[in-house]
Amino acid sequence: MQTDWTPVALSHDIPVASAAPGRIGDTALAIWRSASGRIAAWSDRCPHRGMRLSHGYVRGERLSCIYHGWSYGEDGGCKRIPAHPDLTPPESIRVPVFACREASGVVWVAEGQPAGAPPDLAGFRGLRSLHIAAATGAIAEVFGGDGPVLRVKLGPVAVIALVQAFGDETMLHLMAPESCDLATLDALSDAAEALRRNIEAEATA
Amino acid sequence: MSVGAMKDQWYPVGLISGVTEEGRDSLLLGEPIRIFLDGGTPAVTGEGERPLPVELRYGHVWTCPGTPTRPLFDIPEADQLGRRLVDVGVCRVRCSPLRAVENFLDIAHFPFVHTDILGSEPHTEVTRYEVGIREDVDEVWATKVQFFQPQAAKSAEGGITTDYMYRVCAPTCSVLYKTSPPMPGEWDVIALFVQPLTETLCDVWPWMALYDDDASMTDLIHFQQLIFVQDRSVLENQLPALLPLDPGMEIPTRADLTSVAYRRWLKRNGFTYGAQLVAA
Amino acid sequence: MQVTEEFVLEGKLGSADLSPWLLRHAGKLGLAIALRVQTDERLEMTLSGAPDLLDAMEMGCLLGPYDIWVDSVARIRSGCRNGG
Repeated sequence: MQTDWTPVALSHDIPVASAAPGRIGDTALAIWRSASGRIAAWSDRCPHRGMRLSHGYVRGERLSCIYHGWSYGEDGGCKRIPAHPDLTPPESIRVPVFACREASGVVWVAEGQPAGAPPDLAGFRGLRSLHIAAATGAIAEVFGGDGPVLRVKLGPVAVIALVQAFGDETMLHLMAPESCDLATLDALSDAAEALRRNIEAEATA
Repeated sequence: MSVGAMKDQWYPVGLISGVTEEGRDSLLLGEPIRIFLDGGTPAVTGEGERPLPVELRYGHVWTCPGTPTRPLFDIPEADQLGRRLVDVGVCRVRCSPLRAVENFLDIAHFPFVHTDILGSEPHTEVTRYEVGIREDVDEVWATKVQFFQPQAAKSAEGGITTDYMYRVCAPTCSVLYKTSPPMPGEWDVIALFVQPLTETLCDVWPWMALYDDDASMTDLIHFQQLIFVQDRSVLENQLPALLPLDPGMEIPTRADLTSVAYRRWLKRNGFTYGAQLVAA
Repeated sequence: MQVTEEFVLEGKLGSADLSPWLLRHAGKLGLAIALRVQTDERLEMTLSGAPDLLDAMEMGCLLGPYDIWVDSVARIRSGCRNGG
């Protein structure tokens, strides 16, 4: 499946009014959701003194840096510098913003101008994201295939694994069929954890 | 990275009270050192058991991996009667030792990092203050610094505008003077002594000389440790890990004047261990 | 309030990196900038914008690219207008 979009997180891991770290390629991301539910992915670095914005706090439709409270609106532009409360920050102070969409419970991010919409994974929902300390090759071996969107079996259940490859580390965003009941989801989550341990054990063996 | 001019400076390597006969291995500017009691007196050796110069001051063991170009800086308040001297202990931080000092010089973060303790919204404004180099001792001094604080110290009740002075007396050591709540005409002294283990790892040894007869020693230590643990969450999450001496990727404002003066002083003295020379 | 100031930098300024660095930093602060005189020891430029941002430009200039050294930044206000 060819797409300009990269899966960076599962929607349910970014609750309303929160921020979390992510990655696209070599770029660290701050993925955050505003009070009204709008999702965004920005460069994870406050332009002031380089603090990670993923450690920041959300108030209303703004993300603020935890270090000095510089706050940024939805376009990434700086709206307020608390140390200089009378200053209207210029348009030019801004955090780089990435294209970001949610589809089927996945947060997708693209660099530049993406063509088309993120992949349609109708019938599935986010299960959990797994950080695996092993190269993507080791994962492809277990799953018997490679690529960014894998349809694989976890135990008896057909799931989707969205793969982010980072050299000797891999991020897996697993999706389960929407029809799964809670007990099955719990079992899948345990199976995913076991999978991670196995892959890491294989990789270090 | 060459250690350069920082090799000839003084660094804290432990509490005097914590040195043992068996000794302890540590690092200084990336090189192994050993701190131990030699006939009852603290001693420090470098690689190949090379003895290093030792000073015992301000509750800490000090050493210099090269040839000291100046004596250990003076904190005259350490000898004033009526002050309680507090060895806070150690806090290990995964950051550049220079970033640890820069953060100590910063007041604008108080409402956000030390919320409701050293600062609180909406009292976020940083008013103008003065920064200069005292040429006789080659130290950075920031004076006339003021900030509103809801609880400025363990002994403070209610909010007050606190006066501050800051000095950088060695590349990894800074001392701040702040209004003493029980004795408003006097300054409390809080120092941050940073041991640079590597360019991105340091042991921070806070030390205080306070006018506070009421609080228990444990409370005083816990208060300062709480503050520093809050700082650590910032220090371990700044990009890049090294302190940039070219602010091309940053936007310093007038509130960052002490940081700018510190970085200029580092650059002028060639104190670049833990620094990044080019913006990236 | 928008003000216009003449900035005079003195120091060891003999680097090809300096003027692009200043233009970029002024751009980041949203300041209008005109470089006027540049020698190895002295640089003059005119900057316009909010006073707090001109202060921020001075902070940037005090550090600058690594291969220069600024001894001093002198600032003279040459214009002022409200609003804008």
